[in-house]
Amino acid sequence: MKGIRYLFLTTVKNTIKDLKNNPGKLVLVVLFVVLIGITIASSFAPAGMEGQEYRKVEEVYALVFVLYAFTFVTMSYKGLSSGASFYSMADVNLLFQLPVSSKRILFYGLIKQMGVSLLMGGIIFFQYGWLSQTYPISILDMIVILIGYGVVMFCAQVTAMAIYSFSSGDDNRRRVIKGIIIVVCLAMAAYVAYPFLFDQSDIINRAVQRINSIYLNLVPVIGWSKQAAVGVLTGSYLYLLAGLGAVAAYVVLFLALITKSHSNFYEDVLQATEVSFSAITAKKEGKVNDVMPKNIKVGKTGIGKGRGAATFFYKHMIENRRSRIFLLDGISLIFLAVVLVFSFTMEEADLLVVFIMATYMQVFSTAMGRWGREFTLPYVYMIPQSPFKKLVCICLETVLKAVFEAVLMFVLVGIIMQASPLEVAACILARIGFALLFIAGDILVERIIGGSLNKVFLMFIYFLVVILLCVPGLVIGGILSSFIPLVPALVTTLVMSFVCNLAISALIAFLCRNMLNYAEINNR
Amino acid sequence: MFQVSHVSKQYGKTLANNDITFSVDDGQIAVLLGPNGAGKSTIIKCIAGLLRFQGEITVCGMDNKSIDAKRILGYIPEMPAVYDLLTVGEHLEFIARAYELENWQQRADELLARFELTDKKDKLGKELSKGMQQKLSICCAILHNPKVVIFDEPMVGLDPHAIKELKKLFLELREEGASILISTHMLDSVEDYWDIAHIMVSGMFAATKLNNAQDTHEESLEELFFSITEGQAPSQAE
Repeated sequence: MKGIRYLFLTTVKNTIKDLKNNPGKLVLVVLFVVLIGITIASSFAPAGMEGQEYRKVEEVYALVFVLYAFTFVTMSYKGLSSGASFYSMADVNLLFQLPVSSKRILFYGLIKQMGVSLLMGGIIFFQYGWLSQTYPISILDMIVILIGYGVVMFCAQVTAMAIYSFSSGDDNRRRVIKGIIIVVCLAMAAYVAYPFLFDQSDIINRAVQRINSIYLNLVPVIGWSKQAAVGVLTGSYLYLLAGLGAVAAYVVLFLALITKSHSNFYEDVLQATEVSFSAITAKKEGKVNDVMPKNIKVGKTGIGKGRGAATFFYKHMIENRRSRIFLLDGISLIFLAVVLVFSFTMEEADLLVVFIMATYMQVFSTAMGRWGREFTLPYVYMIPQSPFKKLVCICLETVLKAVFEAVLMFVLVGIIMQASPLEVAACILARIGFALLFIAGDILVERIIGGSLNKVFLMFIYFLVVILLCVPGLVIGGILSSFIPLVPALVTTLVMSFVCNLAISALIAFLCRNMLNYAEINNR
Repeated sequence: MFQVSHVSKQYGKTLANNDITFSVDDGQIAVLLGPNGAGKSTIIKCIAGLLRFQGEITVCGMDNKSIDAKRILGYIPEMPAVYDLLTVGEHLEFIARAYELENWQQRADELLARFELTDKKDKLGKELSKGMQQKLSICCAILHNPKVVIFDEPMVGLDPHAIKELKKLFLELREEGASILISTHMLDSVEDYWDIAHIMVSGMFAATKLNNAQDTHEESLEELFFSITEGQAPSQAE
């Protein structure tokens, strides 16, 4: 046990020491701490104006349920494919050889995982600003929600491990578990959505009521954790005890299942760890993993079209076909669904709110284009074609996706929100403009910084650059809209932002035209 | 031929290459030897045009980053450069189309046969073992008949047959007049065919040895290598 304690404390100590040699990480940690400080400090600021009307706190409870459900389902689901592991490859190779009880090793893994879970929860903590402006909740309430989130993450890891040890190497079991998870999710969604088939009035309030109903509170881990958190927020300690008790029993049961049903859980953990280790190594080597199904159908072989730089575009089309991406990938489809649901609930609200939300999510989907992966292999640098042509051709697939996504999204949003054709066209145009701007921002960051910083810091810089690039279009659009009275202000703003974004993107593309001659391969 | 003149490359505070100058003539095989971290891969990547550097590199008299230079340059990276979702055959088609090659099919088939990849033609890149990926990487790099070929640790992960074929390929390329640079730290893998060897230590050339009568060193390549990297010959070290 001394060895495990030494390993744990030394790892923590060395992680802190290592920050000195890693300015990128240090800046992130400082920023993280500062943001937490600001969030806590803001909670001591005088409360909103007297008589300020908050939205109903029950909406927060419903949001907590959705957050916990999403976290638990997505984390547990990992147990079906790659296997989730608490351990690193070094743990497996060194720790598992120690003459120490396997239960203690398992306990070490769980404690380590708990720390990671809470760290990830920091992002939720930063939502306190807008939440406290909208709902009557305090910083302590937020901490309770965060602890609940940590508990859910922890339970999800245990569940993933149990699922993995129960189903590894047995496709039938895997299918059954997958089926159960899908059925439970669909049942929950159907329970919430069913009443709206007959009556679409007062959607938000009625959806909140359904989510907070007794039936969903009984859903293992998700409902129990939410009920425990709500118990603290409302002072109903019976709910807290019931929720916590149920979660504790769940954890004990699943840990017993892992340790008892398999006399040696090391074998399962070893496989899971190897899978996650190879993914981590691939990332360290700069090899960005393709998002691809487990069983790929090769289908028709041969690129068949394109010469010179254009070959990249046709290659991307084949890669998309084999990844089962038909113009829109999984993330884009999820974002599309979220935007549609959002617009459905915003009957009386402005179309601009939906557009802003869709654009916020677009930042992430654009950054995932296939073109970024080309920077990790030598071909795009070495192929004897004009660097500008190569740059344009590797981005074409992402642009095509963005155009298709923009048309599909805003035609549907327009129908749902009964927007005019002019407004829909302006939204489509503006979204395409933002897609070009985000790609250009990504290129700019890659050109200036390239692979010399860690990925999280690079993403942070990307966000800053993208925000700065957006400003001119929005400001000019906003100012001009007040001078053109005949056209709706929204249309003027969006069209002007398109024009500005197009111009900025073109300027960046021109300035970075030789980038592939001077950029460094991004695989160190 | 290609020429490297006063090339330096810095990563943060680390000077990976320090004022390196050398050239490889047509029909010559040069090897870069050195311990891990000596800067071999860095200079190779600089020549391939994958890194920024100070100094000058020319390929047949042209700047190494010019389109014309790229047309006659082949590079085999240390980590196999393979697309997960393209088949073996499509990799070669991709290179042929991107380099705008004509009548490439026969050469592609010969290369695949030579490296025992013909039966894997419809396999995806992700389904290949590391050794097979490396063989595919080699086929892609030489499909366009480059005049300058640079190999970064090419033997790692290859099976004995592939190593034999690769050694034959080195000699064939030399006979065809290509300039070849091979980086390695496996001394025995290059002993039979090198013309000139550069031993790198801490980002610089510590010694250069010719494989002919004009060479001034009395020691063998292996002895010279150990005397530089360990300060003594292996027999004395034991």
